Amino acid sequence: MAAALTVSWSALAAWPHWLIVLILLPLGGAVLTPALYALQRRLVPWWALLVAGLTALTVLPLLWRLAHEGPFSYLPGGWARPYGVELRFDEFAALLAAAVALLAPPVLLFSRRYAARAVPAGRLPFYYTLLLLNLGGLLGLAITADLFNLFVFLEVVSLSAYALVAVGGRPVAELAAFKYLLMGAISSLLILLAVGILFALTGSLNMADVAQRLPALATPAALTLAAAALLVGFMLKAALFPLHNWLPEAHASAPGAVSAVLSGLVVKAGIIGLVRTYQLFAGVELLDTANLGAILVWLGAASVVMGSFFAVFQHDLKLMLAYSTITNIGYIVMGWALASPQAMLGASLHLFNHALIKTTLFLAAGALIYRTGLRTLEELRGIGRTMPLNCAALALGALAIVGVPPTAGFVGKWFIALGALQAGRPFFALVVVFGALLAAVYYVRIINAFYFREPEQKAVVTAREVPWSMLAPVLLLALLCLGIGLLARLPVEFLEPAVARLLDGRS
Amino acid sequence: MKKPLVIALLILLALALLAAMAELPAVGQADAPVHTHVSARYIEQGEAETGAHNLVTAVLLNYRGMDTFGEVLVLFTALCAGFAVLLAAARNGNKHYRQPPAPQESGAVPVIAVSPVVSFVVRLLAPFIALFAAYVILKGHLSPGGGFQGGMILGALFIALTLVLGKQYSARLLPVAWRPWLYALAPAAFLVVGMIGLQLTGYFLGYPQEPAWHGVREAMMVTLEIAIGVGGAVLVASLFLALESD
Repeated sequence: MAAALTVSWSALAAWPHWLIVLILLPLGGAVLTPALYALQRRLVPWWALLVAGLTALTVLPLLWRLAHEGPFSYLPGGWARPYGVELRFDEFAALLAAAVALLAPPVLLFSRRYAARAVPAGRLPFYYTLLLLNLGGLLGLAITADLFNLFVFLEVVSLSAYALVAVGGRPVAELAAFKYLLMGAISSLLILLAVGILFALTGSLNMADVAQRLPALATPAALTLAAAALLVGFMLKAALFPLHNWLPEAHASAPGAVSAVLSGLVVKAGIIGLVRTYQLFAGVELLDTANLGAILVWLGAASVVMGSFFAVFQHDLKLMLAYSTITNIGYIVMGWALASPQAMLGASLHLFNHALIKTTLFLAAGALIYRTGLRTLEELRGIGRTMPLNCAALALGALAIVGVPPTAGFVGKWFIALGALQAGRPFFALVVVFGALLAAVYYVRIINAFYFREPEQKAVVTAREVPWSMLAPVLLLALLCLGIGLLARLPVEFLEPAVARLLDGRS
Repeated sequence: MKKPLVIALLILLALALLAAMAELPAVGQADAPVHTHVSARYIEQGEAETGAHNLVTAVLLNYRGMDTFGEVLVLFTALCAGFAVLLAAARNGNKHYRQPPAPQESGAVPVIAVSPVVSFVVRLLAPFIALFAAYVILKGHLSPGGGFQGGMILGALFIALTLVLGKQYSARLLPVAWRPWLYALAPAAFLVVGMIGLQLTGYFLGYPQEPAWHGVREAMMVTLEIAIGVGGAVLVASLFLALESD
């Protein structure tokens, strides 16, 4: 029986088209959403949930095949690389794809009741359309192996993200979205410039092909500009200090479910972009990649410290969470740039785990705002008594993001700290510990306000738990925050060969 | 103090950009990698491999069809993003939303009467402009032109007609019930044609190469061109209508 099951699984996973289906499902689903709304508007939230669920299922055979065969490609149109566009499913693509798959269904289930209130009725179909486009764009960006295709999917992700921030219609959010749009446009422009330069230098757009042809070039200034433009462009998308200015307002003023996607997943697009940049330039001797790494380590460390520092002084719950995203992006970039096997492993794990934890936190915070309309810790004090389950989920998420041992947040930070020691730079292990301590300070403030203070606001005293369709995804994700930390062996074994390959300069 | 600093930084940035640009191969240099690597095959074998007589179309719909699919999606995303921020944020149960602006006093918005000459000329030229748009769309895979360009011409025609003949006419030209389907036209056409290609060749967005299937291949490409064109026109027209209603 078990043998038969295994065989049919591998037969299923061997179907070559899963990779294209993975992006066609959410993108196709998004395209049809406005039309479905015109026909049967009540079905739209369920439709979006169905599409997200099917997309999530598509990731399973892909992961299976990746685990058994290693990275594999799909060639749309059948054109051999570098002549056509190549899609490639490697471990880092898998990481982002798995995070999207895991988080998209809960976010969309949560959205059904939440968006009905937070988004003006006429804009609802476009809320779901943009959310699905955003998720589909993220998947496309994760799996593409082509520079221009990467840019195209990055635009799908960015455009939908700008609009999703403003979709609620609050003037604060509209202003934040505009700021986000300006910064995002600069970053897209830089990335496009770099893609153009690389094409002019190599005549190719396929990443692996470009990476092969770059070391033979003798054009230091052009190469430096391309690398710098890519680096700054993706740092802006990832909101790495000191290019983080746009993030807090945008993520805090967006509707709760959108904040979850933006903070959990969209900033990771910048990280994936940085990883791809590294893969491109790893073999180029004209550029000292070690120097680039040194800059990124320091920027990552600065991000950790400054993000936590700003978060400590916030009163708005969602602003706190937004600043904490800057901190966590800092951990991930620092881990990557330390370039020791364990630090890279930790950064990869943290990319996934932070997505899970931050989604939990933003959804739980969104639920509090949904019930009470209040946003600051001062106003929300005592909410732990009237919405115990939701606050328990938030507290669990808070423990996880601080990195208390059995939770999801611990593993990544642990490996990054170990990696810093492995790289012979104990200072950065201290940064990890320092960041965790600061995080503990501001999350203790949250927990103190929720559980140990008397309620003052009427809305807090009369609050009830949110409906089950909102509470269930929050609770499920909170339990995963706890559980995934215990299952860390699996992803570690999965990622180790990928990290080793990356460090060897083979992609 | 701030201004000189900004100017100095801009000059530095410009120098860095110029230094990099100076190292790029000169435009038109025959042995530049842009001409010798990937493009060489497009130029030598493009027509035979793709059946598109216009090499731009060969790259657009064949070699890099995924990019064009993505671009069509970017346009669709832009349209939805426009709607998501332009459509009235009517109150629905949350006190945070701003009230829709009070109806304006009559006469506050000046109604500009369209001159009879302009109106006559636009109506006179409309069929010819439409014909030209169709020509650009369909001719695209033979000579310069294509769906994106033709679609813009069609969209501009729609805007001109709306300005001259009023909104009632634009509702007849672009029925409200059809609009959400037309928004989806271009990306949906890519999905359908891509899936047909998958059935025929085993690759998403593949085109059958055998001479016997020549007609099918032409039909697939023309379908995409028309869908891109009509979709583009609808995009321009819808954003115009959404802006106007605000």
